[in-house]
Amino acid sequence: MPALGLVLLALVGMTLLLTGLPAYAVLIFAAVLGAGIGVVSGTIPMALLGTVSTRLFNLFESDLLQALPLYVLMGALLNRLTVAPAVVRTLLGLLPRRPGTPVVAGLGLGALLAPMSGSVGASVLALARAVEPSLRAAGLPTPMRHASIAVASTLGVVIPPSLVLILLGDAMLSAHTFAVNATGRMDRVINTQDVLRAAMIPAALFLLLSLAVGWYSANRRGGGALEMANYARPKWTDVLLTLATVAFLVLLLGGVATGYIFAVEGAAAGAVLLMAVGLLTRQVKASMLGDMLTESMATTGALFAPLLAATTFTLVLRLLGTDKLIEHWVAALPGGDLAATGAVLGAIFIAAFVLDAFEIIFVAVPILIPSLLIRVPDAAWVSSLVLLTLQASFLLPPVGYALIMTRGVLGAHVPPLTFAKALLPFLLAQALVLMLTLCYPRLVHVLEPADAQSRGPSAPLRQEEIEDRLQRMLPNLAAPGIPPIDVPPLPPDLTPK
Amino acid sequence: MLGCRLDRALSRVLGVFKWLALPIGLLLFLQWPLREYVHAYSREANDLGQWMFALYVAASVTSATRAGTHLATDAFARRYRPSTRRLLTRICNLVALAPWALAIVIASTPLIVRSLAQLERFPETGNPGYFVIKLAVWVLAVGMLAGIILDFCGARGGDRQ
Repeated sequence: MPALGLVLLALVGMTLLLTGLPAYAVLIFAAVLGAGIGVVSGTIPMALLGTVSTRLFNLFESDLLQALPLYVLMGALLNRLTVAPAVVRTLLGLLPRRPGTPVVAGLGLGALLAPMSGSVGASVLALARAVEPSLRAAGLPTPMRHASIAVASTLGVVIPPSLVLILLGDAMLSAHTFAVNATGRMDRVINTQDVLRAAMIPAALFLLLSLAVGWYSANRRGGGALEMANYARPKWTDVLLTLATVAFLVLLLGGVATGYIFAVEGAAAGAVLLMAVGLLTRQVKASMLGDMLTESMATTGALFAPLLAATTFTLVLRLLGTDKLIEHWVAALPGGDLAATGAVLGAIFIAAFVLDAFEIIFVAVPILIPSLLIRVPDAAWVSSLVLLTLQASFLLPPVGYALIMTRGVLGAHVPPLTFAKALLPFLLAQALVLMLTLCYPRLVHVLEPADAQSRGPSAPLRQEEIEDRLQRMLPNLAAPGIPPIDVPPLPPDLTPK
Repeated sequence: MLGCRLDRALSRVLGVFKWLALPIGLLLFLQWPLREYVHAYSREANDLGQWMFALYVAASVTSATRAGTHLATDAFARRYRPSTRRLLTRICNLVALAPWALAIVIASTPLIVRSLAQLERFPETGNPGYFVIKLAVWVLAVGMLAGIILDFCGARGGDRQ
């Protein structure tokens, strides 16, 4: 029945697109359908389905997931505080009076604030509110305004310490643990800090390229000098607030990346600090607090529900044996590590047309990445490539998630081809960073501490060694109804000489 | 009538749970200075934050349903009539979400009852309250079922929490 899992995956994509039902409901629908067919056909023992409640207990006691409501609370606070407009005013005041200035200010704001907000959708909302008026006032054409906001909204996917990165860190930890156990390699299992550090150089490269591309494109299309009369001059409080925001984020990023504070504590510090600032400056009043918390709770539920659903769905796929089938395919891919990595990234790229980053992390990563990591030992490299692929797919016309969100929030109709033309320079920048990271894996290891570098991934094992170690793990895995592990042969180019 | 009562009760419960976000943030923030400077009570803060988090996120799914904030891709579905979309939602509730939530209640009940009877403590620290984390699974499933019942009664209360 492994092929049924693939049918269910396709069904999820189609149902999501055609029904407009919430992603979590569609995933649960597919899981219930798959489980039903599995039980009726005798593939899945009924008793094993009960383990889903144990999986839910595990989610509820996850230390890392505690960051989720805190990031959402931070996002809600940022929407109510004057931080975003103050940062935009400061950047507009500091930069030369050119049409590219608001684009650079928008991307700068995206880089500062997008990692704090919950998702691409939440970032589009915040940026549309804070930046779009400036872009309009600069006389930038609508496609360019849409493109700038869409690109800025996806910066949170790659710039640490975003929620996407933290959750991917957790998913990578599980995937890498599985791969290390399956192969018996002596690699140090990747953690959230490793994922954050690995993402920094590619993210910085993409940000710099985007700033350059945005500046050049807007100046070329926008015409003459910017009418600064359209803007309020930044006050000293704006500058102070911008500096404080930058300082806080640098400290937070540094603290989390060096392991001095945990990601959850960083998120909690941000939420507590913003709440204190809001209450002290009276930008957050007691009367607003109730509504803000209602909104935060509803957003938290929107982010948590797909996780619950994906937990059920991936359990059903495992019970159907689909993960083994995918493992077999990934192992049998010809063309070496690069080709296998490219194929898996391609699958994630396609999935991102219908799934948000969170759903991909919860559904696609647990299914695809363990198989890839059995074959490709560099987990930090793979994690950075997954992030860059996710970001690229959100921006790919015509159905990239960030593009749909931007169109929905900004309202004005832009013909798809015109929108695509405005996005093209950013897409080329993205493709360049992705190719650089793909071809030069050392890019993601530059910021690693020396001891981590010395414990890099070890060489792949021989086929018989993998088989032997998997079979030795069998007594622990054996359960009624779980099929024996079938180890696919290694491709010739991976077989140690 | 029953729908209205259930709607009000659910609103009140969610209205209480939403305030948990504040102590969760404070406790998880405090665990850093407690660990680094006070060298005590950090685990207690973490455990307390943990069971509050479990209750909060369990209730948040129902809250998202009532507020209509669940993530969805409606590139095509936005063209459908509201009645069509409502019908799709009800079918999904009936054939997927309700059976799933019921299965969760049935599968988790023995574990939760045992945990409650023992007032189970956190395994690593021995701090009280671990049973609340297990209880949160009930909160999740019962909240979802209540939301589905309200949807069928036509009394979904929006965000009056």
